[in-house]
Amino acid sequence: MLSKSTKFGKGFILLVALVLTFSLVLSACGGGKKEEASSSPSASSASPSESSASPSSSSGSGDTGAADLQPYELKIIWEGPAQKDAPAVEAKINEYLKDKINATVKLSTLDWGQYDQKMPMMIASREAMDVVFTAQWNGHSNNVAKGGFLALNDPNLEANGQKVGNLLEQYGKDILSSLDPAFLEGAKINGFNYGIPTNKELAAQGGVIYRVDIAQELGLTDQLNNVKTIADLEPILKTVKEKKPNITPLFFKDGETFNSHYLSQLDYLGNTDIDGIVRKDGEDTKVITRFDDKEYMDQLQLTRKFFQEGLINRDAATTTVGPQDAMKKGDVFMIPSSLKPGKDAEMANGINMAGKLKQIEIGPRTVSTGETAGAMLGISSTSKDPARAMMFINLLHSDKYLNNLINFGIEGEHYVKVSDNVIKAGPKAADYNPGVAWELGNQFLNYTFETEAADKWDQFKKFNDGAHKSPALGFTFDVEPVKSQVTNLINVKKQYAAALETGSIDPAKAQEWWDKEKANGLDKVLEEKQKQLDAFIASKK
Amino acid sequence: MSELTGKRKAYSSSEISKPADAAINVFFIIYTIICIFPLLLVLVVSFSDEKTVLVNGYSLFPDKLNLAAYDFLLNDWVNVVRSYGISIFVTVAGTLASLAMMALYAYPISRRDFKHRGVFSFVMVFTILYNAGLVPFYIMYTQYLHLQNSVLALMIPYLIQAFFVLVMRTFFTNSVPTELLESAKIDGAGEWRIFAQIVLPLSLPVLASVGLLCTLNYWNDWFMSMLFVNDNVHINIQYRMYKALQDLQYLSSNSTAYAAILAQNPNFQMPSETVRMAMAVIGIGPIVFAYPFFQRFFIKGLTVGAVKG
Amino acid sequence: MDQAMQTAAPPVPQPARKTKQNQGYWRRFGVFYLMMAPALIILLLNNYLPMIGSVIAFKNVNYQVGIWKSPWVGFQNFDYLFNASDAWKITRNTILYNAAFIFLNMVVGVAFALMFNAMRSRKAAKFHQTMMFLPYFLSWVIITYLVYGFLNPEIGMLNKTILPWFGAERTIDWYTEPKWWTVILPIVNTWKGIGYYAVFYLAAIIGIDQEYYEAATLDGASKWRQIWTITVPLIRPVIIVLTLLQIGRIFYADFGLFYQVTRNAGSLYDTTLVIDTYVYQGFIVTGDVGMSSAAGLYQAVIGFVLVLCSNLVIRRISKEDALF
Repeated sequence: MLSKSTKFGKGFILLVALVLTFSLVLSACGGGKKEEASSSPSASSASPSESSASPSSSSGSGDTGAADLQPYELKIIWEGPAQKDAPAVEAKINEYLKDKINATVKLSTLDWGQYDQKMPMMIASREAMDVVFTAQWNGHSNNVAKGGFLALNDPNLEANGQKVGNLLEQYGKDILSSLDPAFLEGAKINGFNYGIPTNKELAAQGGVIYRVDIAQELGLTDQLNNVKTIADLEPILKTVKEKKPNITPLFFKDGETFNSHYLSQLDYLGNTDIDGIVRKDGEDTKVITRFDDKEYMDQLQLTRKFFQEGLINRDAATTTVGPQDAMKKGDVFMIPSSLKPGKDAEMANGINMAGKLKQIEIGPRTVSTGETAGAMLGISSTSKDPARAMMFINLLHSDKYLNNLINFGIEGEHYVKVSDNVIKAGPKAADYNPGVAWELGNQFLNYTFETEAADKWDQFKKFNDGAHKSPALGFTFDVEPVKSQVTNLINVKKQYAAALETGSIDPAKAQEWWDKEKANGLDKVLEEKQKQLDAFIASKK
Repeated sequence: MSELTGKRKAYSSSEISKPADAAINVFFIIYTIICIFPLLLVLVVSFSDEKTVLVNGYSLFPDKLNLAAYDFLLNDWVNVVRSYGISIFVTVAGTLASLAMMALYAYPISRRDFKHRGVFSFVMVFTILYNAGLVPFYIMYTQYLHLQNSVLALMIPYLIQAFFVLVMRTFFTNSVPTELLESAKIDGAGEWRIFAQIVLPLSLPVLASVGLLCTLNYWNDWFMSMLFVNDNVHINIQYRMYKALQDLQYLSSNSTAYAAILAQNPNFQMPSETVRMAMAVIGIGPIVFAYPFFQRFFIKGLTVGAVKG
Repeated sequence: MDQAMQTAAPPVPQPARKTKQNQGYWRRFGVFYLMMAPALIILLLNNYLPMIGSVIAFKNVNYQVGIWKSPWVGFQNFDYLFNASDAWKITRNTILYNAAFIFLNMVVGVAFALMFNAMRSRKAAKFHQTMMFLPYFLSWVIITYLVYGFLNPEIGMLNKTILPWFGAERTIDWYTEPKWWTVILPIVNTWKGIGYYAVFYLAAIIGIDQEYYEAATLDGASKWRQIWTITVPLIRPVIIVLTLLQIGRIFYADFGLFYQVTRNAGSLYDTTLVIDTYVYQGFIVTGDVGMSSAAGLYQAVIGFVLVLCSNLVIRRISKEDALF
């Protein structure tokens, strides 16, 4: 036993020695890298005041100042399917950007449903990225809390060991001049913007999108036109099920149900994973739970009924296929969706089903933080040149040519022009059609497809008018004080939400969920949410 | 006990009664069916007609057979072949590197005259005892080694497995006679030569069985791809299968042909269920073919080095 | 081994002789260090350097300032583990499932081995062995496909064919009803692994000297009796060691089984969430590396103690089989 312990002792000392040596070597490496890293941007952002002049004057078509900038490759990441012809489009963009901001781009995508898993890992691995799509519904506040994104309007911002200052004011002048301030105001976290919201519709409305061709075949058009509430859908879906046994009448997945944020009117105050809500369409600022909301509970019952009648796909609780992709597969009749004017046509074009989709609005139009922060472009804290990334975002918001190039591809190949601002699918449309214009920059610059309403952008503006503002608009809950409770609540939610909200299990289980939330610190979280919300409202007065 | 695996059994003295034997046979026939049935089911479904599957469910006797699923996958063969290539490369290179490194480590610590063998054995054993866990490991690989999206990230994590090294050590100690080493040394042979010309040839059984286990580990791994690969390029066949099961969209959005098919025939419906199973068949294929060959070695090798030396 | 250590240990008085001796040592054994170097480097990268990273469990990581400069938070990251109603459930699931797996591997494995050994036709025995071993070679991804073929709620074999055969009135949503998985998981795990254990035990049985049986037969002992009085007692050490080796790992679950085969369905978590999937989940879903490191550390420390204990027991039974 004694000799044993001496052996252990020796082994341990050796081990410690080894570990220490290597950690020294490693830290030396790390130091070296840092130097290298900080040296490269210094060349390009050495004179922020000088280069800041360039984008503002270049808005539109001018191109002064690009020569002062070192070449830099921007890695752009958005959420959506990979595009085969991305290299060709990249080449075109590079050609154009050379004179603008002397940058090249590398376009990459994360598949729908992959983003939530991959982005936290990419942030944890400090992967080099520059312009990254982010949104409140896919973990924005979590990723911000981990330091994944830069505060774009922080005058004291430092990146790569250098002070870069307020990026938005220096390099984003066109954004500030074109974007409704309500967007930036509403998307703030602790006073800073960690992403530039897409300039698009501000209000939100929920509803469903369905296949027109099937509806016509079954003679359901009139019935569909008269739908006012979710309950009205039942007979229609039943008919579809009867007459088209191979078609899924209604496709649901986790987070895409009648209780999704766009249909349920619940404002989760910054993170849909955490209970504690106020109603978007009300005025009450008392934070309640989802179980206190009668509509939520009623909708659970209704969904369950649909599910038991076989109107909803049976793997709804587990499937990872998004509604849009399910629609694309061709065997789905109806999906829930957030809506805006022309959403049906936009989606149809994105999934090669032009003319086959139609939308039905259900419920009121509202505005909440969830919408203002519903689609943003952030700048990764690993960007070697955040200033350039901001210039690029600024161009996406102001440069019509670039915006349409990245959204629709190359003219004559991926799209052809019908008139000045109207286009239709080109011969190679299938090879480049990201269908995510709402993620990238300024939608009001987008061409419209000929299948879309010509006055789409006017409709957008009208859509925004008169929408009801959530009493908590602009507020995002800071989870830090109750972090450990929140983590547990998220785990509990994973266990129940998908199954309950898709109707896969008995709504009576909601009580069990509630009890479990209580056992895991729900009251503390509610209290903290209320406290922060009250402070926010008081500060606004 | 090691060499006795099978052949030297004398039955005469201990034969069981015929009815008992029949009962056992029946039992194992049923169990064999249980082992094969699921594989057969996947195979048959992959050749079934999609509509039939959707109406009748998975069945061993489908009403209609066709090749639509494989037709569809064929359009995407570049990706499948690339994934295969990655799997094969990682498996072969990884197994060879792994065997070489582990044997080279096991040899010194098997030598009784090597003073620090205890220390270095412990360095190995400690990795079994204590595991730093997923997060530090992940951060090490990505933030310091920058191995994301590289085949090395699929290979290095499995290179050294302490248990195998200890098995090799035990085998070297017990099966390579010390006298042989001594006499070689007297003849002036260096350690490298002794290792290559005496130790390795005498240790083929343990090398074979550890090698097979390594091969299996590499070929069947999907976790490292899930952790470290973000692009759609460096993914191996297992991970491609996983993604196909998770998310059929993965097949369609990556299939360049899918769009082309849709352009020609707007009413085309992807045969999703059967394509899924066809993907599984393509992934299972090589293992099933290589299996009869493998398992003979495997069963032989299994008992050689493992627990008892 | 220990003796070798001791003879080498005593310090040598004269410095001159010491260096000379050292030179001799390095000339003789220096090459060993060279041989071990590649593996040592890999061990450092895979195992030892990440151990330093365990400090993440005590930090509130913000990548922008870097892991090392992130603030210390003491044991705060562990709070959630011990406040959660889940912590107990996860620990329980991990241990109970592993216990069930170990038990089944032992009982079924030994039973199969005994039956193989008893079969009169060597050919048939070989054939069935081969077939039984097949699942061991399949990856968890493939097994997930196979299980899915049975459990798919709409068109799976069970819901569409087998349950109706038995006249079941309703079909089961396998991926949303947790209770079934306490049965499914042990079945799947045993199905996959049993070939390995059976062959292992069979090898031990075949290794038993035939003379024991011959003597017993002369004494008129029945075959059944021989099994209980000769075979089982003689392979007991193998059974115990193999089982203890597994017990040492009882705090580590098979990630592939629990993540893949259950398709990571949230509604099954009551009976399917284990420490390994929980750590992964925490890392991915909440993105909180501090907390998931804390869970990882919890697992590592308890796992460490368990391995030590089981090794201690193994040493008592069969010193040769102990890890150290």
